[in-house]
Amino acid sequence: MALFTRAPKAEPILGQNRVIAHVLALLTWLIGLLFFFPLFWLVLNGFKDELDANSSPKLFFDPTLDRFSEVTEDTTGLLSFTEAFGNSFWIVLISTILVMALAIPAAYALAIRPMRKWRDVLFFFISTKFLPIVGAIMPLWIIARDLDLLNTRAVLIILYTAMNLPLAVWMLRSFFAEVPNELIEAAQIDGCSLMGQIRQVILPIVAPGLAATALLCVIFAWNEYFLAVQLNPVEGSTMPVWVASQESGRGNFLAKLSAASVLATLPVVIAGWVAQKRMIRGLAMGAIK
Amino acid sequence: MAEVRYEAASRIYPGTEIPAVNALDLDIADGELLVLVGPSGSGKSTALRMLAGLETVNKGSIFINDVDVTLKPPQDRDIAMVFQNYALYPSMTVAENMGFALKQAGVSKEQRRAQVVEAARILDLEPYLDRKPKNLSGGQRQRVAMGRAIVRSPQVFLMDEPLSNLDAKLRVQTRTELADLQARLGVTMVYVTHDQVEAMTMGHRVAVLKDGLLQQVDTPRELYRRPANLFVAGFIGSPAMNLITVPVVDGAAQLGGLSVPLPDDVRAEVARRGLDEIIFGARPEHLALADVGASGEVAVVEELGSEAYIHVRVVHGQETEDVVVRVGGETAVKRGDQVSFGIAGATHFFDPGGDRLDGE
Amino acid sequence: MSSAITEHRDETEHADHADEVRRLERREGWNRRLPILPALIFTIVVTQIPFLFTLFYSLTDWRIDTPEPREFIGFENYGALPDDKFFRDAAWVSVQMTVLAVLLSLIVGTALAILLDRKFFGQGFVRTLLITPFLVMPVVAGFLWKSQMFSATFGVLNWVLELFGFESIEFATKYPLASVVVVLVWQWSPFMMLIVLAGLQGQDTSVLEAARVDGATTVGIFRQITFPQLRPYLELGTLLGAIYLIQVYDHIDVITGGSPDSKNLPFYIAQRSIGGGNRFGLASSYSIVVVIASIIIANIGLRVLSGLLEDDS
Repeated sequence: MALFTRAPKAEPILGQNRVIAHVLALLTWLIGLLFFFPLFWLVLNGFKDELDANSSPKLFFDPTLDRFSEVTEDTTGLLSFTEAFGNSFWIVLISTILVMALAIPAAYALAIRPMRKWRDVLFFFISTKFLPIVGAIMPLWIIARDLDLLNTRAVLIILYTAMNLPLAVWMLRSFFAEVPNELIEAAQIDGCSLMGQIRQVILPIVAPGLAATALLCVIFAWNEYFLAVQLNPVEGSTMPVWVASQESGRGNFLAKLSAASVLATLPVVIAGWVAQKRMIRGLAMGAIK
Repeated sequence: MAEVRYEAASRIYPGTEIPAVNALDLDIADGELLVLVGPSGSGKSTALRMLAGLETVNKGSIFINDVDVTLKPPQDRDIAMVFQNYALYPSMTVAENMGFALKQAGVSKEQRRAQVVEAARILDLEPYLDRKPKNLSGGQRQRVAMGRAIVRSPQVFLMDEPLSNLDAKLRVQTRTELADLQARLGVTMVYVTHDQVEAMTMGHRVAVLKDGLLQQVDTPRELYRRPANLFVAGFIGSPAMNLITVPVVDGAAQLGGLSVPLPDDVRAEVARRGLDEIIFGARPEHLALADVGASGEVAVVEELGSEAYIHVRVVHGQETEDVVVRVGGETAVKRGDQVSFGIAGATHFFDPGGDRLDGE
Repeated sequence: MSSAITEHRDETEHADHADEVRRLERREGWNRRLPILPALIFTIVVTQIPFLFTLFYSLTDWRIDTPEPREFIGFENYGALPDDKFFRDAAWVSVQMTVLAVLLSLIVGTALAILLDRKFFGQGFVRTLLITPFLVMPVVAGFLWKSQMFSATFGVLNWVLELFGFESIEFATKYPLASVVVVLVWQWSPFMMLIVLAGLQGQDTSVLEAARVDGATTVGIFRQITFPQLRPYLELGTLLGAIYLIQVYDHIDVITGGSPDSKNLPFYIAQRSIGGGNRFGLASSYSIVVVIASIIIANIGLRVLSGLLEDDS
């Protein structure tokens, strides 16, 4: 199964010449470092004390972990770190599980045994992403208020599921489409039930694609701010809201804010590093296959 | 152990008018190896998949051992199938692949193991039982696919071009092994291929399909000796039969300088229908160089070692036709030579519509 | 006589069979549709129904302080739109922001992908460096740029400017739109880069080799072979980028707090309604306009997409 093996490496577009090749490599390195620099700076500031951070940029200082302990222990705000982290964790986890639970059967119906007009259905899913969330935020807010869902984890779980579902269906469809039809037929002849086919034959093959899709959902859900701050301004809010709330503090707390930012960003950055290739392959395949 | 019967079975794909398989009637005896052969789009694979239960039978019925299975799902038909690309489950080991169907059927673990090992022994797969398919060679994968079918001892084996992904040498070797295995196990096997050599060498009987229609079903020898129509005549045999439209004059077919007298029954049929043109067929091996006969210039010499095929460009009416003649190996004939040839074996005659003229 | 009877029986059998086939095919049709229903229903309920509510609200003069039931005023809200300067400004900001951010990300991303699509020391590491901005929480990205890059007092950018003898500038205040776009491009070029990279790596090597054998130049190969093969990927990047960037809110909130020159429609709508403005009816009409505009863009986009999906047969 050549699910994730790369196509034979194409020749690079630029540079057959060795000198040019070295220059280009150096240039790429420089741009890479430049792109990463703001984040490097953020991490650096997280280890400074406020005096060092709130002054003209400096590279050398006495590193300290105090800011990290401050932000994690501070409970004066509306939202403490542990609270926000717990909310984010559960909301992201449950919504991602829901997304996958809904998207896997849907992808099956779009790819393995395609229903009639599956293209139209896929279009519909994608098209829901074109409706700006602001187009629905008021009724969402009112419905949530009337159902007593404002400031609960539940409302974000539901909305993040809806937010990520089209993307997940799209990506999973492309991964499912790579499962050879003969495998399913072989399983049928071998007497395997529908659930058995999915569990024992299809899922092991698409597992890497599932992981990549789930991770992308995690990233988008973890980073979402608009809905969280609009619907859960008081309680049940998440890490982005927590970070933003650090800023509204009095005075200059740049170092503290940097430390908070690092903590909030780290989980999905690591997840993204691990999944980078597959994530994008899934996205690209969604369109091309 | 089973007989298979297609009764006017048709498959019409949704949104199409012409059936992919058109009213197929076919009886396959117990223990027989029947080969379905035809060019791509002939419906041979569809016919097999109908028997497997992977395609809906829109009209007609299919019986296995006199049980109507037309509407049964694949798992209730007690069949095993080997796919062109083997369809091995990539996440399972060889042993798990082979035992998968038994597991679905609820066979105990020990029993499963015993049956898998037994099948692996038959196929020389024992050293590979714990490997994943991706760590096997093409030939080994093919054998695992076979093993997966054998393990279940099904009523019927279905083979969908199982050798086409092997290289030429391995294909010839495996072909023999497969035929031998089928004979030893004594199972009924339906085998699909587009390769007429494979069909002829393996099949007890061969069914030739074209455009969803059964053209002829017979033993390889009879297919070779008495092709029922022009299509079968051209499809079976390698190199292909020479087929040339010729005028009939005084009860003889005229080809270049060669006059081939028609057999009595053909002559009677030609006279009855008042045909003045028929299609004459003769295999390269049934023509021979001679001092008199049709003559022409040699365009190509194909030297195969033990024999050679020469393509003679015969002027025939307004046109030229290339006629292939078999000669012995190490022939002295060269390109550009003028040669003559005559009949040295069986001849075939078809009407302009393609049907055999001495048919029943 | 007897043969007539048999024939008759045959016919009924055939009719039964045909019925059975039809029944099985119907059931098969449902079996195929069933798995998609939960996702479909969920999506419709959560995304489409609220939208219908918005449509309804937009025809009312509902404010939070008017006691319900709100009054139905037809298209009055819409009628007022052309004269609403704030709405026009926000719409213009939306257009500029989306077009600039998508286009620049695409250009930068493609350039990065071409640079990365070659073997060199540390290739994987540099790719990892480059994609990281995409993974960063928008709120954090906004804060980071605002207070540590753009800031006149502590910002690295201004420190560099001063190094070269320029006056320091409070970028986020002086160039709010540009500031937001810079951060968006910083976050989205990596995304575009990865999509283009997928396209570059999926190229048919033999075609490239054939072109080289035929004596094509590097530039010629890129223009005539690579670029056409990349097109679907570039289109995909544009589409996905537009979907997300048209809805930008977080960056604006953090970087400029929605100062007039950087306040796009989503931000303005939130401000006028649940953000404290309480003009629910009016803001709903804004939303509908955004949605209609998006649908127009989406239609163009989907046509592109359907072109992409045609390849799959």
